Amino acid sequence: MKIKNLTRKLTKFHYWLAGLTAVMVAGVIGGLIVFAKGLVVTNLTDLVPWGLWITIDLSSIALSAGAFTLCAAVYLIGLREYQPVARTATFIGIIGYSMAMLCLLMDIGRPERFWHAFVFWNVHSVLWEVTMCVGLYFAVLTLETLPIIGHSEWFVGRWPRIAGWLSKVHHYAPYLAIAGLFLSMLHQSSLGATYGVLKARPLWYTPSLSVLFMASAIIGGISLTILASMIAARVSDKANVDDALLEKLAHFIGWALVVYLYFRFWYTFSMTYTYEPGRTEGLRLLTKGPLAFNFWFGEMLFGAVIPMIILLKKEWRARAWLRMTALALVIGGLVAYRWDVNLSGQLIVLTYLQDEINAFYTSYSPAFIEIVVGAGVIAFGVLAFTLGVQYMKVVDHASTEHAVEVHVEPV
Amino acid sequence: MTEKKQTVGRREFLKLALGGGAAVASLKIAKNASASKPVGSSPHKWAMVIDQGKCIGCEYCTNACRAHNDIAPDISWNRVIVSSEVNGEKIYVARPCMQCEHAPCVDVCPVKASYYRSDGIVMMDYDRCIGCRYCEVACPYNARAFNWEKYTGDNPMVPEWGEPEVERRPRGVVEKCSFCYQRVDRGLALGLTPGLDPEATPACVGACPVGGRVFGDLNDPESQVSQILKTRVTHRLREDLGTGPRVYYICPENSDSLEA
Repeated sequence: MKIKNLTRKLTKFHYWLAGLTAVMVAGVIGGLIVFAKGLVVTNLTDLVPWGLWITIDLSSIALSAGAFTLCAAVYLIGLREYQPVARTATFIGIIGYSMAMLCLLMDIGRPERFWHAFVFWNVHSVLWEVTMCVGLYFAVLTLETLPIIGHSEWFVGRWPRIAGWLSKVHHYAPYLAIAGLFLSMLHQSSLGATYGVLKARPLWYTPSLSVLFMASAIIGGISLTILASMIAARVSDKANVDDALLEKLAHFIGWALVVYLYFRFWYTFSMTYTYEPGRTEGLRLLTKGPLAFNFWFGEMLFGAVIPMIILLKKEWRARAWLRMTALALVIGGLVAYRWDVNLSGQLIVLTYLQDEINAFYTSYSPAFIEIVVGAGVIAFGVLAFTLGVQYMKVVDHASTEHAVEVHVEPV
Repeated sequence: MTEKKQTVGRREFLKLALGGGAAVASLKIAKNASASKPVGSSPHKWAMVIDQGKCIGCEYCTNACRAHNDIAPDISWNRVIVSSEVNGEKIYVARPCMQCEHAPCVDVCPVKASYYRSDGIVMMDYDRCIGCRYCEVACPYNARAFNWEKYTGDNPMVPEWGEPEVERRPRGVVEKCSFCYQRVDRGLALGLTPGLDPEATPACVGACPVGGRVFGDLNDPESQVSQILKTRVTHRLREDLGTGPRVYYICPENSDSLEA
């Protein structure tokens, strides 16, 4: 009897939460196994030391780029109408960076030493710069999220005084936007440079990777913000969106994809003019080898061309489900791009002999435990966003928060 | 307050913030650049010459290395690779860490766990390494290995090939050849000459049954390595990358073994 009553009370929302929690628990168990046994349980090797987790890490950071882009648009460029979207983007941002840091914690061999980069500086290292920026930007995101918490009914009802203090942080939004822009532009591009500075890896060794990482992050970050808002508005009564606003943003993504596609295409195929050991083989991997499906379909056709056309055509963009599909494809394209960049350079092993530099192919596919832990991290992100929508109204375009006047005294 | 005033204030703030930030960053970077000079002050500059004409691919060097540095069976600091075959005879290239003058691994390490000693040895600080493996990805010579698991159990190379002289590395850090710095340092402290006295010379050099490896001080013009580099044709691996390896090779056609 009791069980029957209980099952009757359970809504789809509860099942959704339970499902995500189950995946998260599996991820935690997987994580504990990795901590206990070491990274030997993964499929990573000395030839391919960066795999699925690094891809998720890179993708999470890139897909969080909506936060800095939209905050800059609202508070620095002055496009005030987008303030509620920037609010959603900020919340997605703090979740994305948490996911990235969780992945890194899993991936590094000595997770208890994660803080070393903050103490032992090597200013020559791109990865050091990325670590510092990610750490500092996480602090910025935390400050930017405080007013969101402070404004949630759930919080105000319990601790009105603290909520008042938290809301006040919103007065500093323009300053935080400056800091966020500065730090994000540094590390979003440097994540590309992490690969781009390595002379020993000819396929990576170009300045273009920074530009492409930056551009794709802005596109993917805004896309995720729009998509997540649209989904939330359709499944939750706590979320409501101004569709005209999201449509305009989606239109921008369409044009941004034109620029991105041009650079990505030009960059990839301008490399083929001369044979260079390692570089030509890397291109083969992308265009004909094991990464070819990812490259042609994941990145190019479905990741850029099709969503570009949908988002540029007014009638198609106006249809919610078509727009959502396009945005989902853009996000998939970004993840495929990160996966391809990370692997294409590593799967080519160059010999170091004087007379002949030969290139060999190696392979990598993630172990089951890598997939479980990765899924756990993603489930954590989705769960956090769900709770945010439900209890902090992070997708609320009717929010009165933007009515808060922002006063900046002349310095 | 008018909207215009507000914009001006913000713009000025932006300028100040960026300017101030850049000033602080450049000061810190300048300070750090000087701090990234090699650790210590040594009058020596260690280098190695490997004669490919003499090498018979016996891997004694690797075995001695494994024993003296207590290396796990799935890791090798010193690989012996078949590079080609000439007239049915195999040509080997023995590859320790190149101890690069401009080492990619030192540049990319986010925590300065890889660093230069003033005697030219590229060192690993195993207590500082976070195990991110960026150095592995950056090294053109695949000279680095990660400890995917804890190395337990007996070292099959001990005691036949020597006794461990350094601590086993823990799980989760990257390790590599150190030119047997422990032998060099102890030897110098005892008044020995690395390169001449086997106790003060990397274990692989002493283990080579055909005298295919020579170790010594580039700053000493009388040392054997200085003499070889002066009089013989040598090459280094992937010189085109500008890493400046301190391991030199003599091709079979220029080898001593032909003259003998």
